[in-house]
Amino acid sequence: MKSLLAIFIFLSAALCANTAEINVYSHRHYDSDTVLFKKFSQETGVQVNVIKGSADQLIQRLISEGKNSPADVLLTVDAGRLHRAKEAGILLPVESTKLSQNVPDSMRDPEGNWYGMTVRARVIVYAKGRVNPAELSTYEDLASSKWRARLAIRSSSNIYNQSLLASIIATNGPSKALSWAKAVRKNMVRSPRGSDRDQARAVASGLADVAVINTYYLGILANSTSAADREVARKVGVFFPNQNGRGAHVNVSGGGVTRSSKNKKDAIRFLEFLTSSESQQTFSAVNYEYPVKIENNRSDLLKSWGTFKADKVNLSILGSRNPEAVKTFDRAGWE
Amino acid sequence: MKRTLSGLGRGFLFKLNGWTLSALILGLLIFIPMAAVLWHLTDPSENWKHLEETVLTSYLKDSLILVLGTVFFSVLAGVSCAWLVSCCEFPGRKVLEWVLVLPLAVPTFIAAYAYFDLLAMIEEEMIPLVIWARTKSLEDLDTVIFLLDSLKYPVTILVMASVLYPYVYLLARASFSRQGSQLIEAARTLGYRPRSIFFRVALPLARPAIVAGASLVVMETLNDYGAVKHFGVSTFTNGIFRTWFNMNDLPGALRLAALLMLFILFLLVVERILRSGAKFEEKGTVVRSFKRYRLGPAGSTLAILCCLLPLTFGFLIPLGRLSLWAKESYQKILDFSFLELITNSLALAAASSLLIVLVATFLAFAGRYFKNPAVHASNRLAILGYSVPGAVVAMAILLIASPFNLSLGILLTGSLFTLLFAYLIRFLAVAWQPIDSGMEKNCDRLNEASQSLKASPLVSLLKINLPLIRPSLWAAGLLVFVDTMKELPLTLILRPFNFETLSTRTYDLTSNSQIPESSVPAICIILVVVIPVIWLNRKMEARK
Repeated sequence: MKSLLAIFIFLSAALCANTAEINVYSHRHYDSDTVLFKKFSQETGVQVNVIKGSADQLIQRLISEGKNSPADVLLTVDAGRLHRAKEAGILLPVESTKLSQNVPDSMRDPEGNWYGMTVRARVIVYAKGRVNPAELSTYEDLASSKWRARLAIRSSSNIYNQSLLASIIATNGPSKALSWAKAVRKNMVRSPRGSDRDQARAVASGLADVAVINTYYLGILANSTSAADREVARKVGVFFPNQNGRGAHVNVSGGGVTRSSKNKKDAIRFLEFLTSSESQQTFSAVNYEYPVKIENNRSDLLKSWGTFKADKVNLSILGSRNPEAVKTFDRAGWE
Repeated sequence: MKRTLSGLGRGFLFKLNGWTLSALILGLLIFIPMAAVLWHLTDPSENWKHLEETVLTSYLKDSLILVLGTVFFSVLAGVSCAWLVSCCEFPGRKVLEWVLVLPLAVPTFIAAYAYFDLLAMIEEEMIPLVIWARTKSLEDLDTVIFLLDSLKYPVTILVMASVLYPYVYLLARASFSRQGSQLIEAARTLGYRPRSIFFRVALPLARPAIVAGASLVVMETLNDYGAVKHFGVSTFTNGIFRTWFNMNDLPGALRLAALLMLFILFLLVVERILRSGAKFEEKGTVVRSFKRYRLGPAGSTLAILCCLLPLTFGFLIPLGRLSLWAKESYQKILDFSFLELITNSLALAAASSLLIVLVATFLAFAGRYFKNPAVHASNRLAILGYSVPGAVVAMAILLIASPFNLSLGILLTGSLFTLLFAYLIRFLAVAWQPIDSGMEKNCDRLNEASQSLKASPLVSLLKINLPLIRPSLWAAGLLVFVDTMKELPLTLILRPFNFETLSTRTYDLTSNSQIPESSVPAICIILVVVIPVIWLNRKMEARK
């Protein structure tokens, strides 16, 4: 009898192990995620299947698949896309005490459609030695003619720039934002191209004096296998703009449970796991992103950039202002 | 009454039989997703006016500069190298003949990574100039900035042409070798100098092949997203992605894609008109080996340099740089999962080349053998998928699959079947072009003869067409295999869960800005592709 029971338990456990899995559509392609997904599976026995791709294509795919979609969780690298996914009706509002505790109010959707997971700050980097940090002040100041042919910044097709401009539109209004974008385009030393890392490289090489980049790219450079990249990280300084005003522009990488999810319980558990304080340390240690509660940062590298005041604008604004930001870039001739 | 009707029907279904009917259905099936895109040509998109007012002209300008430049240099390099290795004799010719194909193994987005650095280096050389200009007047500064900005065009063109010229080279070389001795030797006996033989005999004869190769280059150039994104060139493709992804305007993006397709359609029609005005057929089927021009020391040096130039830019420099990076990072990145990546990529590429060559042969044969205008038209429509970016094909498939997903509950997305169908749409043209032009050159007359002898179509296909177009079949298979191995956007969007290929892994790492790490899967792609490239190239040689 006992052995029968044991077999029964074993069988059901095996069955459960087979059925317990969650499917993740993710725009994130970082080593930190691989580490954490594996850890989640070990701790919970829930297998994590991943499809990586650009958030826009994954959202399109989710819409096309509708209620038959196998996806349980969508992960993106900015709040704007999460907002778009919510608007498209493919996310499910969820509530969980753990998630509410783990994620500050400004870093999540008021209705619980999505939750921030990590924070990235978009900062100004400058050439140590050539630029006195006292010359720097705000994003708005980058439009000043003193930066003529000294600025490097990437293409406006990039979501981080769109979110930055969306926050400027929200603060200063559309017409001021347009003249800002026009003036900044004029101050660029070359037409926008490449990644944030390439902008930092341009500053290190002496082509540009200042650049706008996300902080975690500097972490990647500082820990690169390439000596030249590590040299780039040494040559540039980090400046957090608008500290006397609204604060530096921040954005989140985050996720939400999909409306089609067949395994909501584990999907929520997955988000809870990713926002738990332990996982948060992995994100900053492996991918140099700030924890969603910035003050909890324990990474020495991130601490070395200094503490800063973050813009408290509700992140869903970045999503709702996004189309306007893209059109403003087009009008300003910022490719 | 009944008689008239059936007569009418017979007139309407002019030459429609099992072959042509299934070719028609197959062709249209492949065209359906593209038709869904074309359907949006007149879609009222809210952003259309904005696009017209702001960015449309710059998309057109950049696309035109890029296409013209890339085609010019691809044809220049492809044709001259093909002529040198097939009609001249110089030391190292035999090696150069096959190594010139190698740049095919380098995807444009990977080549762009290798050269992004190089562009930065040129920029670094110009830093003193920029610093000097900052102290001068605004006009001087503007001139220097303009100069710096314009660098992206020649660099992008160089990168694209140096990895795309093998399309022209392969087809031109096949044509030059097929021309064989007769015409060229006849011209020689008539006292023509090599130069006039090249311009007045060989080049006109090879024109259909060169035009076919150049049209592949045009499409590949317009399809590229990775390289243009890196160099900051705002092409049409860039605009499609921007409108779709950044403006969240699918109808607008589809309308742009439809415009691009119309443009390609127009080009294909022009190509056809040009070709029909110059229909050359080689007399006789026996191709004797051709006595090559022996070059002197000076000529040999020049010829070797001429062949080494595109090879260096298209293969040696990218591979060299990637190898250096890989040396730094392979310990960090290389593990057993790489075996799975390689197997996945290989299996996918092999399956799609087999499928696509089969379909292309069938469609081309049905069109040519029965001379059915409807099949001709549907073939032209079926190969349109090559003229739009891979991501647009994926977009079209999502569009088509949506009703099935929602109503039937059969999830078409995320299966290997759908992925293969997507490859078929995307790469049919790659196989169809050489097969169709091979049949045009070798089989049309013989098919007429076999028809008058009342041989069955199947016998004609198996006994006449297939043996005669074997080199074209190999070329088609080679090109599709290579293209699938390098393919990125379709695989990225439509692949099943946990399914990774070498190119998706490369993409993951590059989009994470881990260039040194990404060089490891990138080199794997190149090495995996190089082996079949060499092998198939040898086969083509042997069949000549």
